[in-house]
Amino acid sequence: MPLDPTLHADDLRAWYGSMPVTSRYTVGPAGERFFRAMKDAARILGTRCGRCNLTYVPGRLFCERCFDELTDWTEVGPSGTIEAVTVVHLDLDGALLEPPVLMALVRLDGADTVLYHRLSGVDVADAKIGLRVEAAFRRLEDRTGSILDISHFRPAG
Amino acid sequence: MTHPVAIIGVGWSGFRPVTPDVSYKELIYEAAVRAYADAGVDPRRDVDSFVTVSEDFHEGTSIFDEYVPDQIGGAQRPVHTITGDGLHGLAAAVMQILTGRFRVVVVEGHSKASNILTLPHITAYALDPILNRPLQVNPLAVAALEACRYMHESGATREQCGAVVTKNRRNALRNPAAAYGADLRTEDVLASEVVASPLARLEISDHADGAIVIVLADAETARRLSPHPAWIRGIGWANDSPSLESRCWARAVYAERAAAMAYKMAGIGNPVEEIQFAEVDDTYAYKELQHLEALGLCAQGRAGPLTREGATAPDGCLPVNVSGGSLGVGHLLEASGLARVLEVVLQLRGHAGSRQLGDVYTGLAQSWRGVPTTSGAVAVLSNQLGGRES
Repeated sequence: MPLDPTLHADDLRAWYGSMPVTSRYTVGPAGERFFRAMKDAARILGTRCGRCNLTYVPGRLFCERCFDELTDWTEVGPSGTIEAVTVVHLDLDGALLEPPVLMALVRLDGADTVLYHRLSGVDVADAKIGLRVEAAFRRLEDRTGSILDISHFRPAG
Repeated sequence: MTHPVAIIGVGWSGFRPVTPDVSYKELIYEAAVRAYADAGVDPRRDVDSFVTVSEDFHEGTSIFDEYVPDQIGGAQRPVHTITGDGLHGLAAAVMQILTGRFRVVVVEGHSKASNILTLPHITAYALDPILNRPLQVNPLAVAALEACRYMHESGATREQCGAVVTKNRRNALRNPAAAYGADLRTEDVLASEVVASPLARLEISDHADGAIVIVLADAETARRLSPHPAWIRGIGWANDSPSLESRCWARAVYAERAAAMAYKMAGIGNPVEEIQFAEVDDTYAYKELQHLEALGLCAQGRAGPLTREGATAPDGCLPVNVSGGSLGVGHLLEASGLARVLEVVLQLRGHAGSRQLGDVYTGLAQSWRGVPTTSGAVAVLSNQLGGRES
């Protein structure tokens, strides 16, 4: 099975290949409502499951616990509490990030789920579980109806 | 379990950080030849079905399942591929045998991680494309956030995570197949560069190349062919909520549910008393602690202190990852769960060489599919069946 022994590792051949992948991702009826409210009014909407006593953010059309359809839309945030935080020092290519990026799980007031997003405007030493934060929205003319309409979260107040 | 299934053959090739001399097909072929020799079966004559595990993006090939039959002896035979961890593949093989239509079924998993040139991009591509992926962050952030929340709620410390790393890499020194055996101090782990707080470089398993093939059989065939069958007494698999938004960030719910399923099948009421050793996922050091608690092998918040006290060392009361785990063996992508099973089988047979545990008859193997998944599986294996010597 093995190759004959070689003292010339450079002779070992390999072929290289890559593939461009481009896709469209339909946001669907719940996504339309969530992202339009964010784009047009800088409001963050969830849906509520009365049976499970849970508010999902972003709002979704069905409850993953009881499988009921969800129709009860409610506004949450824009303030919330940090549930977990990390200082990320590597980019997607593995290169050192200077400065590093702070990522957080934010539980918005009125929500039972968290948002995964950037945290800015805070010293690393103060970026801790329990910190009160608020969504920093892009200006109306810069909002496109995406999760990036929230540019980041920052300390509340 | 009324119709037991046993592992009657294991074979592996590797595990090495790089393998520029062999293609994935040759890695797998080598493992398969060894597994069939170990089991005493001819794949072209005796194997009824083949199950493989792989992810297209890890292989760099669309519809990769079409590339697996020939190197395992499965051309022109029943073969199917699962996009899950190797333990999910093992569960599928068990189910096939339990139908009564298959006597001998083979499971294959492999890693040619050294040929994946953009792995963080591939993992990031597994994140929700609308809600998470636009943030363009290294997916290590997902593990780091979970580590942050797990440590907050369990009270686990960085020193305890460091103790997992030193134990597993030291264990790997006694495993000839392991790629990353090392004698480290906890201070070395804590002093390594923090890549996504609280995770430091040495708390993250490095990848290795290799392949693992496992041969399973029904009870009658196992007793006829194997002098040392490893009986699969229970097997289970489960998911938590998949989304980053609604999953549990502190506990490994998938492992809790998978263990409950496996323990029920095995008739295990008190895992602390009945599981003698465990091979669990340690892709990141904190994961070993979180998984031990999820598996009910210690109380919530106790895995860290027990590790510091040496309870999970090879001479402790619950040896964990005697193989070296992914931290010591090397992370084998989809084959990682099969590496955990492989060690349990070798220990149950008494074939684990200088790392052999004394007098063991029941062990557990657990897997996690890695970031960003909430999928895991658990198998309970024994060299005895219902108290009877097999």
